[in-house]
Amino acid sequence: MNDSGPLLEVEEVVKRFGGIRAVDGATMNVRDGSITALIGPNGAGKTTLFNVVTGFYRGDRGSVRFDGDRVFGEPPYELARKGMVRTFQITKALAAMPVIDNMMLAAPNQPGELFRNLIFMPRGVRAHEKQVRKQAMELLQLFNLTDLADDYAGTLSGGQRKLLELARALMAEPKLLLLDEPMAGINPTLGARLLDHMQRLRRESGVTFLFIEHDMEVVMNHSDRVIVMAEGRVIAEGDPQEVRRDQRVIDAYLGGTATDTAHGEEVTQ
Amino acid sequence: MEAGQVTERAAPAVGEQVGERLRRKPWLGAVGVIALIFIALVIGEGLHDVAQTGLNGLSLGAIYALGAVGLTLVYGILKLVNFAHGDFLTFGAYMAYLVNVTWGAPLVVAIFWAMLMTAVLGIALERVLWAPMRAKHAGLLQFLLMAIGLAFLLRAVFQWFWGTEIRSLDVNTTSSVEILGLRIGQTELIVVIVGITVLVAVGLGLRMTLLGKRMRALSDDLELAETAGIDTRRVILWTWEFAGGLAGLAGVMAASVTSLYPEMGFELLLPIFAAVVLGGIGDAFGALTAGIVIGVMTEWSTLIIDARWKTAVGFLVLLTALIVRPQGIFGKAKAI
Amino acid sequence: MTLDPATLMPVGVSFEAITDIDFWISVGVLAGIYAIVALGLQVNTGFTGIVNFGAAAFMAVGAYSMAILVLEVGISFWLSLPLAMLITMLFGALVGLPSLRLRADYFAIATIAMAEMVRLFAQNARGLTGGNQGLFCADDDPSNCYANSWRDVSDSINGFVENFWSDPSSLFPLLLVIWVTVGIATIALVYLQKTPWGRVLRAIREDEDAARALGKNTLLFKLQSLAISALLGAIGGFFLALNLATLHPIDFEPLITFFAFSVLVLGGLANYKGVAVGAVLFWFVIEGTRFIDLPDPPFTETRIAALRLAITGLLLIGLMAFRPQGLFGNRQEMVLGE
Repeated sequence: MNDSGPLLEVEEVVKRFGGIRAVDGATMNVRDGSITALIGPNGAGKTTLFNVVTGFYRGDRGSVRFDGDRVFGEPPYELARKGMVRTFQITKALAAMPVIDNMMLAAPNQPGELFRNLIFMPRGVRAHEKQVRKQAMELLQLFNLTDLADDYAGTLSGGQRKLLELARALMAEPKLLLLDEPMAGINPTLGARLLDHMQRLRRESGVTFLFIEHDMEVVMNHSDRVIVMAEGRVIAEGDPQEVRRDQRVIDAYLGGTATDTAHGEEVTQ
Repeated sequence: MEAGQVTERAAPAVGEQVGERLRRKPWLGAVGVIALIFIALVIGEGLHDVAQTGLNGLSLGAIYALGAVGLTLVYGILKLVNFAHGDFLTFGAYMAYLVNVTWGAPLVVAIFWAMLMTAVLGIALERVLWAPMRAKHAGLLQFLLMAIGLAFLLRAVFQWFWGTEIRSLDVNTTSSVEILGLRIGQTELIVVIVGITVLVAVGLGLRMTLLGKRMRALSDDLELAETAGIDTRRVILWTWEFAGGLAGLAGVMAASVTSLYPEMGFELLLPIFAAVVLGGIGDAFGALTAGIVIGVMTEWSTLIIDARWKTAVGFLVLLTALIVRPQGIFGKAKAI
Repeated sequence: MTLDPATLMPVGVSFEAITDIDFWISVGVLAGIYAIVALGLQVNTGFTGIVNFGAAAFMAVGAYSMAILVLEVGISFWLSLPLAMLITMLFGALVGLPSLRLRADYFAIATIAMAEMVRLFAQNARGLTGGNQGLFCADDDPSNCYANSWRDVSDSINGFVENFWSDPSSLFPLLLVIWVTVGIATIALVYLQKTPWGRVLRAIREDEDAARALGKNTLLFKLQSLAISALLGAIGGFFLALNLATLHPIDFEPLITFFAFSVLVLGGLANYKGVAVGAVLFWFVIEGTRFIDLPDPPFTETRIAALRLAITGLLLIGLMAFRPQGLFGNRQEMVLGE
């Protein structure tokens, strides 16, 4: 347990695909209790870095430290158990299961998932299930999804599924929540609600957020810190106003595809 | 504001360079392994035996290769695991039987008829079964079970019309030829020559003709090919024709060299799949090469183990390829 | 072949078999065996999303292990059963460890290849398995046959049954035991599916990455799922071995796996209770081809066998094309593809 250093430390991570270096020596830190945005033009390697950090890709080189522990190369389920939970660009709400099952799935350390407990402590399993269900309903309450609890997640709208995925991720009791483009494809009102939830969770439960985002307005107004990636490397790190004025960042966006400036704020000197 | 750090990357070590080379061209490693096996066998069993079994392996390998090229293209382009492909071989063989034995025409005619009819079968199934299912956005399990169901249905048809008796084509099964001190059956020799010729033609065709290039493009990336303006439906039909024709030929060859019965093709299916996986799914050249390699390896294995176990070679190659390197020795490493 | 104008049935076809008790018992036995195997496949395919095309191998390993333990190692039949179950589960785990991380279609191919290797082994390791000659009694002691202990039990059950039914079929006790097993297995699996363990399986079925991102060691769960189908496959294999009283490698050809899959998709995916119904229906039709008196030209034995192949093939194609949920499948829970 490391209370003084950053919650997440990424150092010199490299990830190659064939001849292409998708992540080419990325280094960055995420402070405990912060809401940090990870931005950069398309192809900068943001999602790849997410995948390496969370164990979905095996990085070729580098180191990742979470809460003081070296976790580079560990499988995703191990990292999730340690408190590093992620969501995906295309939401993975499990459509073939009811909403409440989606939620209860995420609870950590369930005795009922171990075969031997089903045989030797069925009553303990049932008691734990009751507790998990209660927690799940409380969390669904926060997101106004309680009415949908017994519906199959496949019947939910896109926005509702995004909320479900966030609620489910929280059910896993994360220390660090990595969100891959949480605002993508949802309407602004819902987006605003999501951001409110993020702020509240950070304030009340101390959850740290690291999210990939393309919408500059969201980044400027809702994040404490911004990390900028381009061409597989981190080119700037700091608070939103400073990063916005950094010449390297401006060059990176103007040099690459300009789609990221489509949402209003221009990154200008 | 912290400055982003410019990092200095050290030059890779020599060992890393070799590893990099092998990773980029893994088939070099495969060639090395085969060479080692060859040398070990020659030392252990003598060049004559190795060459003799190698020659036998060529006819088997040609059959595998012909079956594998079509199967790999269908798998690569349509993502269809065609478990009925083995029965395409059987179909071709029975068609040849019809013309050659029942109607008495020469084998050459039978071969063309077999290839034609099997191509027609391939196209008919694409039209009636596969294209509609793709349009319905059917899932993997549906395709897998339908392909298997088709395999059984075809076998049922063979069994209905020709029973379970073992039959043979009207070919010369007794005389043999001697080349460089090695013996090979006359029919087998023809099979090897025809097989290799067709395979070379196929290889050239795939490389040089427009259709061949298009088939390879679709196999590589179907969506990209569509956006590039290629008429994918046409190419898909041609691919089925191609796969069917080659399968029919492979079936006739198999029936010439061994014997004809309803399960014949299904029994060849797994080694053919081995060639497909080993060569890299969707890679016709890979399948071609891998088919011949597996055929030769299967026959070489009889030098060290009892012949009744030789079919295990194909199964083992398949299992090993799937587990160790599913993208085959020519394929690029992708996230699987 | 002419048609009888009154019934429009081909003259010469008789359906007397349907009232024949032996017909129903043979349907019942085969249906029960395949219901057990299909229950295992339901755990794999219907609830975990893994396409296991190697069911025949689990049946073979179970059956042959039992027979070999009894005939060659000299263990009692009753002790050989749990041992053979263990061996088969271990075999399943061994097969699963390297292959379960493969994509679904690769896994399907790998399991077929594995099953054919098992059959090749059974055919050629003649010293151990009797090869194509088959295995039924010990070479050195022809009175020691693996089915002996069962026969004794079966006879005593029938001794009791004779109080109610004067001439019970010799297969009746087997039928009873098989269907009690089907019942127990179904109840156990329905319960298992409602547990948190079952929930993780369903998550894996739809999206393994989502499950991993939530802290689940998915490989372990998939192995457990495979082990369960190995166990059920072994039990099915035991009953098959007792039904036949001899074992041949051909009894475990790939067709067997797909008989089980036909039962599975007919009953419906993601539903344990439908499996038994699917099994009875399927075998009613398949055995029907054997018991209906079909006129000899054109229906020879081989043609009737071909008919069975055709029915299986058409069933698989037809159901998957037009009604993938089968009879009782849970459409909402079925995850068929990407």
